[in-house]
Amino acid sequence: MARVLENVGKEVLKKNGIPIPESAVASSAEEARKAAEKIGCPIVIKALVTVGKRGKTGAVRFAENPDEAGRIAEEILSMTVRNFPVDRVLVEKKLDIRQELYVSITYNSREICPVVIASSAGGMDIEEIAKSHPAKVIKYPVYLAEGVHPYEVRAIWSDLGLRGGVLLNATEITKRIFDLFLKYDCTIIEINPLAVTSNEEVVAAAVLMGVDDDALYRQPYFKNKVEVGSDRAWRPLSALEKEMIEVDKMEAYRGTARYVEIDGGNIGFFCGGGGGSLLSYDALIRFGGKPANYTEFGGNPPEAKVRGLVKGVLSKHGVKGFFMNMNITNNTQTDIVAKGIIGAFKDLNINPQKFPAVVRLAGVHDAMARRLCEAIGLEYHGDDITMEDTARIMVSKMEKAYPEEEY
Amino acid sequence: MAILVDKTSKIVIQGITGREASMVTKHALLYGTNIVAGITPGKEGQKIEGVPVYDTVKRACKDHEINTAVIYVPPAFAYDAVMESIGNDIPLVIIITERIPQQDAIRFLFAARTANCTVIGPNSVGVITPENRVKIGAIGGDNPERCFVPGTVGVISRSGGMTAECAWMVKRAGFGVSTCVSIGGDALIGSPPMKILEMFEKDTKTKAVVMWGEPGTSYEEDVAGFTKEGGFTKPLIAYIGGRFVERMPEGTIFGHAASIIERGVGKPSSKMAALKDAGCYVADSFTDIITYVRKAMES
Repeated sequence: MARVLENVGKEVLKKNGIPIPESAVASSAEEARKAAEKIGCPIVIKALVTVGKRGKTGAVRFAENPDEAGRIAEEILSMTVRNFPVDRVLVEKKLDIRQELYVSITYNSREICPVVIASSAGGMDIEEIAKSHPAKVIKYPVYLAEGVHPYEVRAIWSDLGLRGGVLLNATEITKRIFDLFLKYDCTIIEINPLAVTSNEEVVAAAVLMGVDDDALYRQPYFKNKVEVGSDRAWRPLSALEKEMIEVDKMEAYRGTARYVEIDGGNIGFFCGGGGGSLLSYDALIRFGGKPANYTEFGGNPPEAKVRGLVKGVLSKHGVKGFFMNMNITNNTQTDIVAKGIIGAFKDLNINPQKFPAVVRLAGVHDAMARRLCEAIGLEYHGDDITMEDTARIMVSKMEKAYPEEEY
Repeated sequence: MAILVDKTSKIVIQGITGREASMVTKHALLYGTNIVAGITPGKEGQKIEGVPVYDTVKRACKDHEINTAVIYVPPAFAYDAVMESIGNDIPLVIIITERIPQQDAIRFLFAARTANCTVIGPNSVGVITPENRVKIGAIGGDNPERCFVPGTVGVISRSGGMTAECAWMVKRAGFGVSTCVSIGGDALIGSPPMKILEMFEKDTKTKAVVMWGEPGTSYEEDVAGFTKEGGFTKPLIAYIGGRFVERMPEGTIFGHAASIIERGVGKPSSKMAALKDAGCYVADSFTDIITYVRKAMES
């Protein structure tokens, strides 16, 4: 999933006929002040970061006049919200809210269908609403991905107690949100609050939106507007993470790889298989190892891709060892992987006889993989050991090479 | 007996002329699998490893009896390919393709359910029944015997690679496998572990099951509930990978797309606790699977 910034999400809503508060994006105090003047106070200033629950971090605040808006914008612009530095704010008209509703659409992996969650007690986290007001939350699975009927949405809001014009407006808007969820290949849309104003208008006051990375090829609207892979980090992607996404794009459908940087650590982690990497990481930690990153690859990548990825893994600051562990492969050619690793070692001038490193590469063409690794003195294992054994070997190599470091 | 695929399987491969699909076809034929036709629109008349290529599933079905379809087409065309198999009344569709848009998956899974068609995947590495020498997808590569020897332990895995590694553990324990199913690493799949477990329960050949679980979804909790209620009565040995994910910021994906802990749901620790509570063998280290398989098979 790629997370969408609130201003982009709101553009999408507006394009699709969903009322949103008047707003402007500002990247300085002065811009925020001018925007507040133009829109009219009172005003809301929100950090533009792809982080949920911003309100709790002080990244959503109100101002009564343009000067105050400028001051607050300046403060928010100097903040880092859950590791994301704020470089822009959304300056938005403060609504005259009579009631706060909640609506979201996501896919449910158990029901295999989109689910509409609606509540007449918006404004808080849905988990909190569900706990404190269970009767005010409705979860409605939509079994036909063809869409939802207006009568179904009307029944949801009616059961939640909406009446009159508000019922009709909320129904119309929810239906539109559902349609655009499908149209834009979203994976989540959460409107919280969906505000009912004093003149019975229903307005999307805040939006959280995620789009399907795997559908971006058919969603030109989001080109250059969302960051691919943003769900794989809890902070902005590092320069190296961005580089690795580019490496992964080489022959996009041949071998997929994902790279995440871990704080600290000293073991370069390059493992294979979605599940195999999970096991490898758990095992390294269990034996006292400290991974510096997490790379998972699979699906038979070409040599150049492996070479680029391994170079990335080894170039992270503080990496003093190399750990390559993988399940016995079904289709990944282990000799190609070995060639990529050896190429990267050569490129970086690393001598595997002096640098703690271990490789477990069993599977397709592994006799060749063994020959290649052993020729340069890289410790190689096939199915003579288990994946947990590899982790044990790696940690003991690190302990031996760097006895002064704490383990 | 086995589940899903056996000696009666008559297989069509959609996208057979692709690089990966033609290699897999070669390996499967060598193993003994009955691949009767391949589909690549516009390429009818060609042969891949001796298998005739057709433009449409409909034309292939006219010349051959087909009961299993394998999807190898690129993500943008996968929806149409799956719908084509469902539309031609093929009762089992195994989807190997990765990175299919979620909305497409929702749509074809809905269609499959309505048509009573069993779907494995998307993002499955395949299914194998060693006793009948049937393998679908890349599973086992060019040397299936390395990991997959005939026996009576079933394997269910959310990871393709770990399907092989689990079977290898069974082999190291001194036993073999009945059927191994890679169910697919996506969040939206046709057959979650519980559904496969139901099949293993009915299969007289299968005496025990090894299951590889991961963070994210409620699949393992569902299995625990199902077992506890008596839906599955044979020994179940489970390992949950990715325990470290619990200590990472919530909402971050490691590994498969489905491997995400969100809003407190999907924690490995909760899954392990639920499975233990249901009386399953929960392996603390992966190697413990060997001990538990022996224990289960002796009991």
